[in-house]
Parts: sequence; structure tokens; C-alpha cells
Amino acid sequence: MSDKWNPGAVLDGLTQMAPLLRKELLEAWRDRRALLMAICFSLMFPAALAGGTIFMVKKQSEDVTRLALIGAERAPLIGEQLQSSGLDVESLADGDPRDLLAADYDLVLEITDDFAQRYQDFRAPRLYLYVNSSDTGSGRAQRELQERLGALQQMIVTQRLSARGVAPQLLAPWRLETRDVSTPSSRGALILATVPGLLIMTLFIACLATAVDSSAGERERLSLEPLLVQPLAGWQIITAKTLAVASLGWLGSLLAISALVLLMPVMPLAEFGIQQATTLAGVVAMGLVLLPLALLVAVVQILLALRSQSFKDAQTQLSILQIAPVVLLMVLDMAQIKLADSWQLLPLIGQQQWLKGLLVGDWVSPVWMLAGSAVTLALVVLAIMVGARALQRESLLSAS
Amino acid sequence: MIRVDNINKSFAGKPVLRNLSFEVPDGRITALLGANGAGKTSCLRIICGLLKADAGRVLVGNADPALDPRGARRQLGVVGDREGLYERLTVREYLDIFARMQGLSGKTLAEALAAVREELELGALWDRRTKGFSQGERMKVSLARALVHRPQHLILDEPTRGLDVLAVRLLRKTLLRLRADGTTILFSSHVMPEVAELSDRVLVMAAGQIVGAGTPEQLAAESGCSNLEDSFVALAYGQRPNVAIAQGEPA
Repeated sequence: MSDKWNPGAVLDGLTQMAPLLRKELLEAWRDRRALLMAICFSLMFPAALAGGTIFMVKKQSEDVTRLALIGAERAPLIGEQLQSSGLDVESLADGDPRDLLAADYDLVLEITDDFAQRYQDFRAPRLYLYVNSSDTGSGRAQRELQERLGALQQMIVTQRLSARGVAPQLLAPWRLETRDVSTPSSRGALILATVPGLLIMTLFIACLATAVDSSAGERERLSLEPLLVQPLAGWQIITAKTLAVASLGWLGSLLAISALVLLMPVMPLAEFGIQQATTLAGVVAMGLVLLPLALLVAVVQILLALRSQSFKDAQTQLSILQIAPVVLLMVLDMAQIKLADSWQLLPLIGQQQWLKGLLVGDWVSPVWMLAGSAVTLALVVLAIMVGARALQRESLLSAS
Repeated sequence: MIRVDNINKSFAGKPVLRNLSFEVPDGRITALLGANGAGKTSCLRIICGLLKADAGRVLVGNADPALDPRGARRQLGVVGDREGLYERLTVREYLDIFARMQGLSGKTLAEALAAVREELELGALWDRRTKGFSQGERMKVSLARALVHRPQHLILDEPTRGLDVLAVRLLRKTLLRLRADGTTILFSSHVMPEVAELSDRVLVMAAGQIVGAGTPEQLAAESGCSNLEDSFVALAYGQRPNVAIAQGEPA
């Protein structure tokens, strides 16, 4: 077990490793549970994203508040002023507000019988607004209506004061106007910002089952020992396992990228101001960008699984640990922290930045991509060496 | 030949092997006989290079497994205790892969595979995945894996554990044939009839030491007993079995 690292013998070593790699690939790709998990998650998140955007746009386009106006003939101006693109006002002579709310109206506004008389007498006529607060959409509709009524009220006050020779500005030292400066494009960018994190998470999940099975699983099934008595170096065993695990993770993320790109035409991206800018070259680049990361994720998962006490222990530990880096990426993204270019050298952060750029067709520096990928690959080599040492641990062997 | 020279091994400060020395000659079947916990598996794992001795030296042929593990493993075939197979591979794939790991290829590989298939009666299992195999079938596949590269030295840890009569017979037949071919065979066991029937030489282990060595007949003569079981008890526990039973101790 005292295998020395000899870079000159790496090529020979890789050739000797070929049968072991075949074994690991056959085992990994014939594991239906692992394969199903990888495929399901890879397809699930692009489908969920597509469904989510379609639903959002549909909801936005259908987002018209239905208002039942009881007694509209008593104050025709109110009905006319409220009618607009976001508010569908239906004038009714009579009706029970509760029944109307139950019958799909969002709001019911009742103008009292004495409205005209009190209005003329300057005695503040009453309007009754009926809402169903258990309806999740009622709050927004109520706010909108109150804003419009407030604006109408302000207009009438202004007219009355002007008629009496009073400058309306006296009553309103300032006017607050809110302007939403978000563009469809920026809202769309927010949606796409989650995609790199999800692609990386796909990679973690697609690797997980195979990583646990080929390390902690083999140890528990007592099939690791026959491997350890073969004339192979520790690094060859870890490398073969890493390649097999990474193959599943990488192809899982490629599947997710392909599904995402295929679903983009049916997603209403134009509504968010996003042009579908992902080209075939972009897809290939995204795949290449994820390859070193797939190797790193695979070897780290194998190392952690080898350290755990059992198959179940490994599954639990890895399930928890895989969430941490993805959450970190999402927090960094949501906090909108501006990162210096050199952060691209860090695994995960680099890949996230490049994927984000490639997804929206932005220019990504090939120099940083190459440098960041080289750092990731260097960490893979380091982790393989650590793994080779881990295989020498006596605690790996079953107690007899 | 396998030579074990004065090896010591402790786990968490508890010694399991103490100044252990013995030789396993070529063309002979040598049994390592001992109770559970006597140190048999640790000793075999040190010979295979899976464990490192705290002191002492092992030679497998001309290779020291601690210094040249790959050199030693090329000369070794190992069947471990309760070892698992790869359940998603067929027997053919499993043996093909391990034979290639040992450096076989081309015609040599095809001949080696055909030979173990024939010898261990694996024809019916050949293209079946190993999931769900019986203990006997698993042993046959493990033995085929250990033998496919025709190693000079064969090590088996409790090879008959859980096997039925037919599987034991096949194992016995195979080991006798290998002995005739000059293979060095070392196996551990605590099953006395199996050891008595198969081995040319028995090494009795107790508390990490060899407490007796010789043919079953020599051991019986040395301990003044009539059979191997009684000899083992006398040598391992330092008492004649009838005395131990009379004193209410386990025999």
C-alpha cells in the first residue's frame, strides 16, 4: 500500500487502470436507482423553470381585478374614473356583497343611497368596500382600488379649493410618486441567475448515489477488499471511481442544459425581455466548464463517503453537505455582491459566473475560464492523492 | 514460498500478533488454525499487504508486501472472509476485469477464463449477474477471481464458511489440484475436520502466536491426543480437553 506518486508513470498507470475503469463505469451506469435520480433531477428543474415562467406570465396577463360597483348610477363619475386596464368595473343596481365576492368578484364597492345628497351638502358621503381577506389576491386589489379612489378624491379636493380661490398646494406641501424602474430584462436576469446554481446542484445530486455506492457501499458489501489486493496503486482506484462518478454527474448536468435550451423556445422569455442567446457553442462551452467541476465534486464526495461509518451515514452526510455550496452560491447571487475577477479562480464560484454569462450570451473571458478550470483540476489531483492515502487506512477493512 | 518473520501487530495498543514467524512451503497446503480472535485474519492481511506490521518482515516469493505491494500482489490470489462481489456485473465480466487488472490480455486471457470456467463449473452462471448468488456460488466466483491469473501463492480466509457439502467438495478438489501443480496454499480455518483432511501442515495460532506446527499426526503425537481437535485445544489452551471439561471450562 506504500504507493509512491510518480508523475512519469501516470500514462502507464492510466492504461493499467482501464479494466478497473470499465468495472466502475459498468457498475455506475447499471445502477438504476442512481441513474433514475440523475435523470429525474436533471429534467425536473428545467421543466419546473419553464413551467414557472409560463405560469408567471400567464398570471400577469390575467391579473385584472374584478370590481362590482353597487349603486353606480348614484355617482357615475366614480365608475368612469375607476375603469382602467387593470380594473374591470361592473356596475350593478343591487346585490349582496357576500354573494358577489363568492361569485368571483375580487372587490365590491357600494355607493350609499344618500351619496348624491351628502356629496352636494359637503357631508362626506360613505362608500363601503367589501373584501374577502382570506383571498390571497384581495390585499393587492384593495391597495390598487384605494390608491385610485385616493387619487380621485385628491382631484375633487383640488377642484373644490381652486373654485374657492385656494391654492391646492397649501394642502399638499409635496406629492409622492412611486416609479418602478425595474425593466422586464432585469426581472428576467433575476430568473436566469438561479439557473447556474441549479445546474451545479444537478451535478451534486447526479453524482451522489454513485459516489456513495462505489465507496461506502463497496466497503459495506465487503467488495472493496478484493480490489485492494490487486496490483493497482491507490490513486488508480480513486481515479477510476472518480471518473465513473463524474461521468454520471456530468451527463446529468449536460442533460439539464440540453433540456433547458430545448425548453427555452416555449418559455415566454421575451415577456421578461430576454432574448434566447444560448447557442450550440454556448451549450458546448457550458458542458466543458462543468467537466472539471464534475471531477472535483465526484472525488470530494468519494472521499467523504470513504470517511463515513456506513452507507447510510455517507448518504446523510453527503445530502447535507451538498446543500451548503449551492446555498452559498445562491446567497452570493441574491446579495448581488460584486466579485473581483480573481474570484473566478475558486471552484463553484468560477463555474457559476461563467455559466451565468454563457446563458445570456455575454462574453466570458477564456483566460479566466482556463485559469479557473486549471485550479479546479489541480484540486482534483490533490484530492485523488488524499484519496489514495485514505485507502491505506486500516479502518477501511472490515473487522473479522 | 511465503515467509513470515517475527511480525508484531497491535490495534489501539492491544497486541494481536506477537513475534509471529512461520514459513509456507511451495506445493503444500498449510492451514492456519485458531479460534476467533487468534489473529489469523490480521496475519493474512499483512501477507496481502492490506495491513502493515508494526515490526517484522513478510516475503511473498521474493517481494515484501510492505515495500513492494504490487509485486507481491501479482504473485498472490486472495479469497477473503465473507467478501462481496459486484452485483451488477456478470461472472464473465467480473473475471475478465480482474484478469485484466492482473495484466492478462488476448489469447492468454481467453484461455485463463476458459480454464476457471471449466474447473470451477461456472458454465451455468457465466452470463448471469452475481446479484442473488448463493454462498456457494459466490465462493466459486471469488475463487475463480483469485485463480484466474494462475498465482504462485493462494491465500484463503475461512474459505468454507457457510458453504454446502457440494461447494466444500469442489473447493477441496480445486485446492488439491493446485497443490499438485506446485501452488503455495495458506488458508485459515477453525473447522477441524476440514483442516485435518486438507492440510499438509497445520499452524496452531493462539493469542497472536504460533503455539504448534506440524502435520495433524505430528500435532497429535506432540500433544498426546488422538485427534486434531483435541490437539488444538491442548496446544491453544494448554490443557488436555478432558481436564478442561472436568473443570467446567470450554473445550
